[in-house]
Amino acid sequence: MRTILNRTRSGLAGMLAAAALLAGATSAMAAQTVGPVTDDIGVIRIPKGAPIQIGGTWVLSGPDTALGLDERRGVEIAFKDAGGQVLGHPLKLNAEDDQCNAEGGQTAATKLAANPQTAVVLGPACSSVATPGAPILWQAGIVEICTACTAPALTAPGRKPEYAGFARTVFSDSEQGKADATFIANVMKARTVVTIHDGSPYAQQLQQVMADNFRKLGGTVLSQEAVAPTDVDMHPLLTRIASEKPDLIYFPVFTAAAAQILRQAKETPGLERTALMGGGSLLSADFIEAAGPAVVGFRIGYPDLSPDAMGKGYPHFVDEYKRAYGEAPISGYHANAYDGAMLAIKAIEKVGKTDDAGNLYIGKKAFRDAVFSIKFEGISGPIACDAYGECSQFKPSVLEFTSADPKTFGIGQNPKKIWP
Amino acid sequence: MARMGAVDVALWGMRIGVVLVVVVGTIGTLIKGRYTAAQWFDFVMFGLTIGSIYAQIALGYTMVYGVLRLINFAHGDIVMTGAFAGYFVAAPLDRSGFLQNHPVPGMVAILVVAIATSTTIALLTERIAYRPFRRVVGLAPLICAIGVSFFLEQTFRGAFGSAVKSYPSPEWQRASFNVIGFNVPGIDVLVIGLALLFMLVLYLVVQRTRMGKAMRAVAEDGEAAALMGIDVNKVVVFTFTLGGVMAGIAGVFYAFVYKQVYFFMGFTPGIKAFGAAVLGGIGSIPGAMLGGFFLGLVESVGPSLFLDGIGIPAPYQLRDLIAFTLLIMVLIFRPQGILGERMAKKRA
Amino acid sequence: MSGVHTPPGLAAPIHPILRRAVLTGLAFGAGAVHLTVVGVVLMLHQRWIVVGTLSLGEATLLAIAAGAGAMAAANAGTAAGARIMLGLLAGAVAAAPLAALAVLIDLVSLRAIFIALSPDLLAMLTLGLGPATGIALLIAGGAGAGLLGAALQQSPRAVIRAVLPGATAVVVAGVFQELIQLMLQQYEGVVNDVRAFLYSWEGLNPAGAITIFAVTALLGEAVGLRRRRRPAHAPPRDPRRARMMRAGIALLVLAVLPAFAGSYIGQVLMLVGLYILMGMGLNLEIGLAGLLDLGFVAFFAVGAYTTALLTTESAHALLHLSYWLAMPVAVLLSILVGVLFGLPVLGVRGDYLAVATLGLGEIVRVIVQSDFAAPLLGGAQGILEIPKPRIGPYVLGSPVALFYVTLAAAGVAAFVAWRLENSRLGRAWMALRDDEDVAQALGINLIQCKLLAYGLGAAFAGLAGSIFATMLTSVYPSSFQLLISINVLALIIVGGMGSLPGVVLGAVALIGLPELLREFGEYRYLFYGAVLIVMMRLRPEGLWPSDVRQRELHARDETLALDAGSDPLPVQPR
Repeated sequence: MRTILNRTRSGLAGMLAAAALLAGATSAMAAQTVGPVTDDIGVIRIPKGAPIQIGGTWVLSGPDTALGLDERRGVEIAFKDAGGQVLGHPLKLNAEDDQCNAEGGQTAATKLAANPQTAVVLGPACSSVATPGAPILWQAGIVEICTACTAPALTAPGRKPEYAGFARTVFSDSEQGKADATFIANVMKARTVVTIHDGSPYAQQLQQVMADNFRKLGGTVLSQEAVAPTDVDMHPLLTRIASEKPDLIYFPVFTAAAAQILRQAKETPGLERTALMGGGSLLSADFIEAAGPAVVGFRIGYPDLSPDAMGKGYPHFVDEYKRAYGEAPISGYHANAYDGAMLAIKAIEKVGKTDDAGNLYIGKKAFRDAVFSIKFEGISGPIACDAYGECSQFKPSVLEFTSADPKTFGIGQNPKKIWP
Repeated sequence: MARMGAVDVALWGMRIGVVLVVVVGTIGTLIKGRYTAAQWFDFVMFGLTIGSIYAQIALGYTMVYGVLRLINFAHGDIVMTGAFAGYFVAAPLDRSGFLQNHPVPGMVAILVVAIATSTTIALLTERIAYRPFRRVVGLAPLICAIGVSFFLEQTFRGAFGSAVKSYPSPEWQRASFNVIGFNVPGIDVLVIGLALLFMLVLYLVVQRTRMGKAMRAVAEDGEAAALMGIDVNKVVVFTFTLGGVMAGIAGVFYAFVYKQVYFFMGFTPGIKAFGAAVLGGIGSIPGAMLGGFFLGLVESVGPSLFLDGIGIPAPYQLRDLIAFTLLIMVLIFRPQGILGERMAKKRA
Repeated sequence: MSGVHTPPGLAAPIHPILRRAVLTGLAFGAGAVHLTVVGVVLMLHQRWIVVGTLSLGEATLLAIAAGAGAMAAANAGTAAGARIMLGLLAGAVAAAPLAALAVLIDLVSLRAIFIALSPDLLAMLTLGLGPATGIALLIAGGAGAGLLGAALQQSPRAVIRAVLPGATAVVVAGVFQELIQLMLQQYEGVVNDVRAFLYSWEGLNPAGAITIFAVTALLGEAVGLRRRRRPAHAPPRDPRRARMMRAGIALLVLAVLPAFAGSYIGQVLMLVGLYILMGMGLNLEIGLAGLLDLGFVAFFAVGAYTTALLTTESAHALLHLSYWLAMPVAVLLSILVGVLFGLPVLGVRGDYLAVATLGLGEIVRVIVQSDFAAPLLGGAQGILEIPKPRIGPYVLGSPVALFYVTLAAAGVAAFVAWRLENSRLGRAWMALRDDEDVAQALGINLIQCKLLAYGLGAAFAGLAGSIFATMLTSVYPSSFQLLISINVLALIIVGGMGSLPGVVLGAVALIGLPELLREFGEYRYLFYGAVLIVMMRLRPEGLWPSDVRQRELHARDETLALDAGSDPLPVQPR
């Protein structure tokens, strides 16, 4: 017995040592030459007939499903528009559910990074997913093109080198917050505001940026309130706010809580003359359903998605979307996702090399450089990345809901654009 | 003995800390004079409304706990099932205009369907998940109840979707009265009034009927009751029926006040209502009602009354903190709850 | 067979055996309808087991019908042939509710209420052949599967020993195809050739499926034969030794697998490792001391936030310690918070304690998320830029490296837990668990004992939290939900209270498996709930109960007897 145990133990030690060595070896990245391509950080070889594997990470379960699903559909349509293939290889989307939280995002990123065939990753929808995820992907030499994470830090000048592989086809919250503050101060002529967030990083950041800019424009922020996303009874909070008599309440929170605030604000004495404004997370048919009749006249700040402001391809995209999924776009970032996918496809076309046997080679560093240098007219507007991976050109707008019937949801009609 | 002293000192420190926060905060708020009398009245009104709903949910917990010593963790989700069933009646009734034109039969129809659904599901869970644990004390029943909770939530999510559905809001529900200068929303009065009525009926059922007596006997001492010839199985079914009925009513009221149904809606109110049941003294029916109203009030008034005064930003974000601190304070100060009778020690 | 198609209750004297078969079939059919209505079946249908031949959804429905058949056949006391016919009947009955559902979907669109009842579902149920033919086929398929199930149930052991492992292997190979392919792809040469033979890009080939089935079936047969050949008079193997051996092998696999299977498996196992750590901590509280704690996540949060604040490179930093210094501080602070946490609930027992601790856990979460504490803890934005640990010049950045850190921590923790279990304190805890009043009468210092249980339990969670923070390099309040406490509780219950291998098994089953099946994440908690209910009813002592507990259960078997679901936990007399 003893000898057996001893043997197992020494065996175990040996294995552990081997494992440690292996773990060390795989994390190193070095220049590599495969077939006709030499690249500083690595080359992907796709055998003849095999698909080009593109990773995706979005929130595909839980209360924010519509947000992630909408983006995945945007990518699927982009693939379809590209004919389903690039350079003779079919496109395959490996979409993972990241649950919109950091640990889910890290696991999803690790899974995608572990696949040596992953050419690029599209998504996620949440900044708290991208923060731990992007470095993992870039360590494996994989570029992440984010389709809806809006935290300013992700593309701020001076971001850390492990984010060098991160780009996004969506604007930063700092742009959105500034635009909202401008609209509230200059167009609506509000002098005093109260903001509400729900403890999510997105809402907290956006209301903070808005409040800072609003103060800069000479307005007064009376207070910055917060709720829990599952709260239903907003009456006491709104009564509290009513005691401050603000011109406007700004609450870029998510569907359930936003619908409660909107509905209950209309019933709160003292808020009859107070305007209400929300954020881009509310651009969905679900929100109209949840808010009911109170939604009519409610405004949200959002990048300009109307056909005249968007690229020429947008109306065609919406038709395509309706045909494929039987409903109008269910949330707001499908166009950014479509453009992100297009950017990836164009970059593959640019750097992919095929040998005589029909195998495809993609250099990872070359791919990254291509993503950061390609310019084109996307359906969400012109796409051109700066040195820190901000690729989208932000055009602000404000939308207003016109009907309480969820079936009428359609960007441009309900809600319709009122500014600029 | 010395160690004992240290623990006592720590506990007293906690009590004094909480009392200080409340007193200083209240004085600070009152000095600032930020709110008008009408606004204080509103805070109380809102608190009583949500409190009446907590109270009805708490009743379900307290009765089941009294008879079975089981925390029916899934009770909040049974409330959800009632609200969902009610929605599928309320939405078409509203679209056809029936609910607007015939409020009473409309509401009755919604309530009947909701009650039928929640009672059926309550009885099914009892039969499938809880009955096998009848003679078991320990963790297994609680874990099973947690399982039931997940299962119900996810079943409803899968079947009806994860979107938030909006309850109809007919004209007559939006009426409000003016009582001596205070604005009183009609729906609040309706909900509080009906809740009180139903709770009174429940109380009478438990106090006056044969079955109610049997229930109290089982709660007092199950084995003795069984020896006296009481059919414990029947009593348990009866208890779950009563709990299911109250859950159905609570679900519909909750949905009519807050207008939203979705699969996770029962979870948080469920936990809070259990807190309310403990607050009032678990096993006691008037205790559950009192605990529910009290919890609702504290949640509604508390952040403005004492957190505001000590300058805490965004006090309503800390609403749950107040609720749970209250619960823990009650457990320290008066473990048997407001109206309970030394239950915590005897039955735990 | 005249009563076959008559539902029970209509024709008065149905033979009880038939009635039983019909009822069994209906119960399984109800299960199938539930899975269909909540959308599980259609989602599984998107996934091939064998490309172009059999989807996971179809396999699930067939398995349900087969299960009905097997069960109907198992309990009948008639001749073998008749039993198999009963299986056929039960299978057909199990398919009937689904067929009824298909007819209903075909007649009226229910999609406005039940979102899963889509035209795609109808096409799947009827194999795209239109309602009439499709529904006939559906019932025939159910009957066939029921027949097969019953036949398998009735067949000799040798057949079962070959078929069951074979089928399981095919399902595993098909369901986890992406993962297996990823693992095999790392290696060139023979391994990759085998992969190319078994799999196409989309999944398992028919040829691959047949090969896997045949190989596994043969293996199963061989193992079975070898076992049977062991001479009957040989002394039976010492069960404890056998268990130790199995545990050793499992640990070895767990330790070595990530190094070969790559970083994704490493990441998943690392999460499993964190839950093992927390499970061991909670095990001290519940399993040994009997203190039901639903606020366990609070200690996890304390560990994570302490590490974050002490090591981060962002503006929230309190100090710039190295990870190895911050970790012990985090653990110490968790112990302190554990003791503080224990103070107010000292006098609270049983279910009250569950609610009180749940409240305390929620208080911690609310504070962490609040604007009030944001200047210190970062509020909603969390704390970013937490560095990975280093050993000399090496940064432990990869999931595999961090997995070994977790493994080492878990090893130390397991040792501590094991020593504690058999120490004076451990015995005092057990006395406390069994009867508080008696324990006090025996001179055990209740206060000290309870506070130590909270403190030491918290230490484990704090350690897990500390590793969690450095693993993510960021902490957000949303990571510290009540759900984590419930997950940990569930895993020690499923694994087996008070049993260290049980914790490992529970974590692998409840954390690892769902992580690997991430694309079905939507239904994770549905299965979670179902598993908890089924476990509690069928095997309340857990998958790997501790020796003591098993002894207790067996001793009680004679008295408390076969009342389904006898309690795994200390029984307190009413």
